[in-house]
Amino acid sequence: MTGPGAAGELFVVGLSWRTAKVEVREKLAFREDELPDTLRAITQTLPVAEALLISTCNRVEVYGVGTAEAPGRVREYLLRKASVGEALYVHRGPAAVRHVFSVASSLDSLVVGEAQILGQLKAAYGVAGTTGTSGPVLSRALERAFGVAKRVRTETPIARGSANVSSVAVELAARVFGKLAGKSVLVVGAGKMSTLAARHLYSEGAQRIVVTNRSPEKAQALADEIEGTAKPWAELEQLLADADVVISSTGAREPILTRALFKKVTKARRWKPMIVIDIAVPRDAEPAINDLEGVYLYDIDALDKVVQANLAERAKAAEHAGRIVEHEAGVFEQWLRTQGVVPTIRALREHFAHVADAEVHKALDQLGKKELTRDQQRELLQRTVQLVVNKLLHTPTTALRGAPADEASVRAAIVCELFGLEPGEEAAAETVADAPASEQAAERKAQA
Amino acid sequence: MTEPVRVLSVAPSPAFWVAVVAYAAASAALLVVLGGHKKARPIALALVGIAFVAHATDIGWRGVEHVHPAESVREAIGFLAFIITGGYLVASLRYRLTLGGVVVMPVSLVLLVLARLTPAGTEPEALSGLGRVHIVLATIGVGVFALASALSAIYLAEDRALKKKKFDSAAFKDGGAPIEVLDRISHRLIWIGFPIFTVALVLGAIWTSRLGEGLGRIEYLLAAVTWVAYATLLVARQIYGWRGRRAARLTLEGFATALAVLVIYLIRRMTG
Repeated sequence: MTGPGAAGELFVVGLSWRTAKVEVREKLAFREDELPDTLRAITQTLPVAEALLISTCNRVEVYGVGTAEAPGRVREYLLRKASVGEALYVHRGPAAVRHVFSVASSLDSLVVGEAQILGQLKAAYGVAGTTGTSGPVLSRALERAFGVAKRVRTETPIARGSANVSSVAVELAARVFGKLAGKSVLVVGAGKMSTLAARHLYSEGAQRIVVTNRSPEKAQALADEIEGTAKPWAELEQLLADADVVISSTGAREPILTRALFKKVTKARRWKPMIVIDIAVPRDAEPAINDLEGVYLYDIDALDKVVQANLAERAKAAEHAGRIVEHEAGVFEQWLRTQGVVPTIRALREHFAHVADAEVHKALDQLGKKELTRDQQRELLQRTVQLVVNKLLHTPTTALRGAPADEASVRAAIVCELFGLEPGEEAAAETVADAPASEQAAERKAQA
Repeated sequence: MTEPVRVLSVAPSPAFWVAVVAYAAASAALLVVLGGHKKARPIALALVGIAFVAHATDIGWRGVEHVHPAESVREAIGFLAFIITGGYLVASLRYRLTLGGVVVMPVSLVLLVLARLTPAGTEPEALSGLGRVHIVLATIGVGVFALASALSAIYLAEDRALKKKKFDSAAFKDGGAPIEVLDRISHRLIWIGFPIFTVALVLGAIWTSRLGEGLGRIEYLLAAVTWVAYATLLVARQIYGWRGRRAARLTLEGFATALAVLVIYLIRRMTG
């Protein structure tokens, strides 16, 4: 239990790429339209006050707020859907807070620093909101998690550097050309990866995409798919001279983009810089073209090298990010704890006010009944205050006296801390001994 | 009209010392930025700004004392450093040229210190108006070439990093500018610097012949080599479409000879 709040503690039950292979993950995965009903089922049939469900290709997790038995019950619920026993993990309280902060910051992602998870978590939070299953604790935790994710992104280089082939192509283009606007992309061959990369470049502002293939039909089909133009294979040399970025992935056994060809091409384009991305295996481009003026050749290994280097950078950043998450989780825990204390504080204040009100009313009644001399008034005032103090101290005093031997000193210490007392041996004994006597005396006087 | 009394040099102004400290601090701060502390960038640029202003103040101060930039090669070198810093500052507003700054700031610092703290030597002959114009134009021309060369040097570093697939090399540590842009701006700067340098060269030749000296000195030859290098570069770029590495190397080679001319001048003045 995080605190004595009514709702209970935050917990998470689920699985991710860390604990389950894709065959297992897909068994538990929820479709988007299944989310609201599942959330309702969890909050209505289980001892769960608040719930959120996120289901992506890399994780399926239920975040909830509930009693101590809630996580176990949610686990059973998930197991009824799919027998994924071993893969499910459960985090409660502080561990759950750290987990949701890490997930939002993309520290728990397969590709550390990727941006999608934050959007997915926000969407899941939105669904919980519209379904009415998110409450004060969950909202506060999620809102804070989004804040932490933003902090991690701005304070660490965790999201810098491309983590996949398409992004490397874009990053490379930025370093060579600056802006992609006005640049043209040539796709040689019809591989799926080259299509993806070409699309990515196009969406980043490249002006046009030209597709060429030994088979004109295939070239046309691909061109239609990505809104490009198909050109005959025979024009390859001219097409290369016109292109700023070349993405090649043919099934050819021998290199097509040879040094001899590129000598002519670079001269024709007056050594304007060009990027050649060769994702074919076996390779389409002769490595020697990289030595030519203005040609930057990246084959699949080179791209992978860049990706790996970027990932290594991210891993370094992740350590720093981890410390941010740790710190923020601590702050959030602190907040949760104070939330737990709030009802107690409220009750204490009400109790004190109630006791004081009752005694003040009694005193005012007496004042109204008959004329009192100044001395009598003074005595009444003193007596009233004394009564209030005694009444308030009665229960704590009884509790202190009646404490079992092993707890007595602990209770005494708590009282000292709460009221800022530093009792000397004698003074302490005297106070405790006197209290009941004066209390009774005051009570008798009041009745008289 | 009588020539005013010629003052070859005055003691460095307080602004000079401020500039020296600011240049050194800016160099260090830019190194720190290059080392990955991006938050230090505004501080580094502010220090470059302070160096620039202090440097300007120093030049103004000397002007009041009748030692202006065109007074001697020694003063011109101080002015050259000023032009380089100004150019860098302007370029930094647009691009993240941290690596360039790490090279340029120490160069400005060294040039400024050379210009102020080396012995002034003696300059027996009176400096004519022609001589002054020659010095000013030559300084501006070489200053512009210096900026073009700095961009070309960054170009070569980035080109090498891209060819070797080293995205994490110093060339890209702090963003850097796209190589196509570096190439283009370097080319434009040479277009600007070349006519200025050409006029300076012609005026210099006239001035020298009026003084009755021959044109056989090594520095005159080197100045001519510089001119030929940049003339070739412009022709090759314009007509044969040269660019990139070849152009960058020729830019640097031309600048190296221009720098050699300045150094020889300085040594001659120092040794009398």
